[in-house]
Amino acid sequence: MEAVLFFIAAIGATVGAIGVVAARNPFYSVLALVAHLFSLAVLFLLLTSAFIAAAQVVVYAGAVMVLYVFVVAYVGSGHEPKWDPVPGQRLFAGLLAFFLFVEISAAVLSSGLRALSTHGPDVPAGFGDPAAIGNLLLEKFLVPFEASSVLLLIAAVGAIVLAARKRSGEPGGDPRNGRQNGGGATPPGHSAPEARPEGVAPAPTASSPTLGAPR
Amino acid sequence: MTGLLPLADTQFAESIWIMIAKSIVIFAVIFAILPILTVVERKLIGRFQHRYGPNRVGPFGLLQPLADVGKLISKESFRPQNAISTLFILGPLLPVLSGVLALAIIPWGDVKNGVGFYGIDVPIGILYFFAVGSIAFYGLLLGGWSSGSKYSLLGAMRSAAQLISYEVSMGLALLGVIMMSGSLSLVDIVRAQDGVWYIAPQIVGFLIFMLAGFAETNRTPFDMPEADAELVQGFMTEYGGMRFGSFLLVEYMEILVVSGIAAAMFLGGWMGPGPGWLDPIWMLLKMLALVFVFIWVRATLPRLRYDQLMTLGWKVLLPLATLNVLVTAILVVVT
Repeated sequence: MEAVLFFIAAIGATVGAIGVVAARNPFYSVLALVAHLFSLAVLFLLLTSAFIAAAQVVVYAGAVMVLYVFVVAYVGSGHEPKWDPVPGQRLFAGLLAFFLFVEISAAVLSSGLRALSTHGPDVPAGFGDPAAIGNLLLEKFLVPFEASSVLLLIAAVGAIVLAARKRSGEPGGDPRNGRQNGGGATPPGHSAPEARPEGVAPAPTASSPTLGAPR
Repeated sequence: MTGLLPLADTQFAESIWIMIAKSIVIFAVIFAILPILTVVERKLIGRFQHRYGPNRVGPFGLLQPLADVGKLISKESFRPQNAISTLFILGPLLPVLSGVLALAIIPWGDVKNGVGFYGIDVPIGILYFFAVGSIAFYGLLLGGWSSGSKYSLLGAMRSAAQLISYEVSMGLALLGVIMMSGSLSLVDIVRAQDGVWYIAPQIVGFLIFMLAGFAETNRTPFDMPEADAELVQGFMTEYGGMRFGSFLLVEYMEILVVSGIAAAMFLGGWMGPGPGWLDPIWMLLKMLALVFVFIWVRATLPRLRYDQLMTLGWKVLLPLATLNVLVTAILVVVT
């Protein structure tokens, strides 16, 4: 049962990851990424980390990816540049992929293979529970945890400041947009729905040719 | 075989036959209630608006849902010419999956004779509800996007923005209860309400949860994704036959699930006077009372404007929910 689930999830994750890169339509890329994230969540479940699995689904599949879908469906595709935006990026990509492969191979060969014939690590009761993870975060890893939360706060404030500056720079902009943009502690990932000029919602969509007929 | 434990009961082991029987019973009861809810809603709204509502099919119009379903099934499942067929078919399926999965954690009673009166009691508890709830987004989004229609796309986009905005407040509203009970498991939370139901100390959280629940289930006054006056039917404009029917069914299922979560988190779940076998009845009664509130609000309030909806979500509910969490945290630590 476990093995079956593992192979289903592993194949799902791999196919999803390949789909992200291979799909021509960015919408399908995003959907492949969603499938990949769900498969990863199943793998986390198999590793007795229910909380991480739930967080993965809630945060990534549930919130972040919905915004990706949102943006891709709105902006659409078709404006892909025919040249490389970064000169020599194909070479860099190949190099990075090679180094990553070497790194992962080293990790697998050093520790992973040796564990093959053993029983595997002993999992204490309550491992991966929300309570266990909360204890770890707030006692053993308190400083990194707090530091990352401050980092997230800075990112959120930064996103709002950047969006607000761009908006106020527009000559003759709708004053209503400025008002709506100013308030609210919007997390960085959630700024997309807010940044949309609510009052005129249908107009940009209706005029965009890439939207109505996805093929 | 410990690998599957996170999904199964960690308190005790139940035999697989009991699990199967439980799923069938829960499934059968809920899916027997769903069609009745549709006719109840129409009749109640009729009464609210000083008219009769459906009363032709069967006694008191009770057989109306049978006639409706029969009609929907017999219709052709067509799709628009420029729709993407796979995604178009997948659209209505995902929300059904999400709703059925979410039903599993609603607690109907305590553990009796080694059988827990709930689908599953996962250690991540309420996070499971949010996790499976996020699957429903994709149904709406895929359905709206793949229909190849402007109204559908707009409805889907609205629902994405709305669901994400209100999910944050929804989670924060429940955090107060979780802090007071010290557990994520719905069964433990209900057990902790033996004395006082959490609606009394957490009234702010309850109100925010219900408001966000209206938005999450796309109900009036937050039914922007399917605002019929502007978007025809939003993301389900191009759907017909039973595919449209399953979107409708899901709406009622989501109402039931949200009511169930609210009843378990705030209204004491299965707690009530009388012998132990009445527990599921109490739970069901509390859920149906909350469903009545959903219908009542639909008959009473007009639809909000889109910017009002966003303003309410981000500038009122979110700060209020955060404040509620802060105050609760201080009180929990002090007492």
